[in-house]
Amino acid sequence: MSTRIKMDKSESSNIVECQNLTLVFGTHEILSNASCSIPRNSLTFLVGENGAGKTSLVRSILGLIPLTTGNIFIHSFEGRQPIMGYVPQSVEFPRQFQMTVSEYLNYSASVRKDSVESVLQKVDFPGSHMNSRITELSGGEVQKLLLAAELHRRPDILFLDEPLSNVDDSSEKHIIDVILEIKNSGVSIVIITHDWQTVSQYADHVICLNKNFLCETTESCICRNSLSKVEIRNIQKATPDPNTRHEGYCYIENV
Amino acid sequence: METFELFTLAFMQRAILGALLLSILLGLFGIFIVPRRLGFMADGISHASLLGIAFGLLIGVYPLIFAMLLAGIFGILLARVKDYGRLTQDGLVGIFLAGGMSGAIIMMSFVPGYKPELFSYLFGDILSIRWIEILGLALYSVIVLMLFQRQWRSLIITTVHSDLSHVIGLPATATRYFLFIGTSLTLIAGVKLLGIILVSALLIIPVLSANQIGHSFRSTLVFTQIIGVSASFFGIILSYIFDIPTGPSIALLLVITFSIISLTYILKKGARDS
Repeated sequence: MSTRIKMDKSESSNIVECQNLTLVFGTHEILSNASCSIPRNSLTFLVGENGAGKTSLVRSILGLIPLTTGNIFIHSFEGRQPIMGYVPQSVEFPRQFQMTVSEYLNYSASVRKDSVESVLQKVDFPGSHMNSRITELSGGEVQKLLLAAELHRRPDILFLDEPLSNVDDSSEKHIIDVILEIKNSGVSIVIITHDWQTVSQYADHVICLNKNFLCETTESCICRNSLSKVEIRNIQKATPDPNTRHEGYCYIENV
Repeated sequence: METFELFTLAFMQRAILGALLLSILLGLFGIFIVPRRLGFMADGISHASLLGIAFGLLIGVYPLIFAMLLAGIFGILLARVKDYGRLTQDGLVGIFLAGGMSGAIIMMSFVPGYKPELFSYLFGDILSIRWIEILGLALYSVIVLMLFQRQWRSLIITTVHSDLSHVIGLPATATRYFLFIGTSLTLIAGVKLLGIILVSALLIIPVLSANQIGHSFRSTLVFTQIIGVSASFFGIILSYIFDIPTGPSIALLLVITFSIISLTYILKKGARDS
């Protein structure tokens, strides 16, 4: 089976399609023959237990980790290759590398000096810190800085790995508003989260990755070798049922 | 002799010119090598390349050619280690060092008699630097500076946030090879001036000193260059005036500069905290 990321010129309703992905690190199987798709202009949430392979799935779509088997199709956006954006959950900036917030924005996203303050303002980052060293920022400030840089690059699809995990409550609302705003401007957004409340409130689509998931009925749960999106309106918590307990991976659809 | 007269001496001109070029290049490489915690790499590569020097001395061919060849291979291997994961870069440097030094010492035991050239490579010897070598170094510097200019943004982003460099399509792999091969070759280019034992000082100490006073990337870069170039220049002058070896003179000046900056930083921080 071929294993690669392919750029596809067709304007599919999905911006990304993953087919039969398997990811193996050493002897550890992260994803097993999984398929999923990310619709255009939508807010897609990627949920699942710790170690279910959420971050690995995103990193493989971004080409940061090699696939063991399977294909990823990245469909064109307005006739060109889509611009990808990625904000990881955390980044540990090297302590022996001195760089200011302003310089980071300049080098990573070509933000001009006179635009730095407005770019930071967009993610509720205090403008007074624009000359602070990036190594002195808190976890929440780093997340905001990375998000500010990625937003300025105007990606067509933006992957956010737990973007609200380190930010305070007031900033959380602000960042969600920003995310909704850029989604409405045509950007496809994928968010990794554990926060089901946020998912149920804002998601257009949800991709669930779970291990040993307990399914309510056999119709509502496709176990092993399948991964799919579900309409947020149909999301329910699955009820444990000993008769439909599955071992290994279970990607749920239409729960 | 008046102090300024020493600038009229051809060997001093060669030494100063060579030292300035080397300190600029090593300062540039150092600013990206030190944050990767690979300061040890400089020592490892230069020591391991003694094998190439010993081979050159044994067969009677210009030894730095073999040292550069070996350093280039080490640089490629170091850049590839990241691709294959299981071995760490500093672990590999340790292996180079042990293998290169052992091989060199065994090889030198086959060279009969006293080996003065070996000592000049170990500790540096400005008297032995020739104009052709300075010309070669100048050409090499121009090429490296042009490559720096092309790779500048990629070098910065791969250092500060390597995932992002892949996502935004920067040539992260080419940058890694440039950094490791370029550092290795430049270290060997500095062997005649500073010697195998001390050449790493110009790669590491200016950056470590500048890190304590620089607030931004730009200011750290400027301080790195000022410290490296000044120590090289005054180190050579002092070595001439006091008739002391050049390599140790430059390295000691760098250590003194680092100590003064560190002490000032600690005192200022203490005063601020109290």
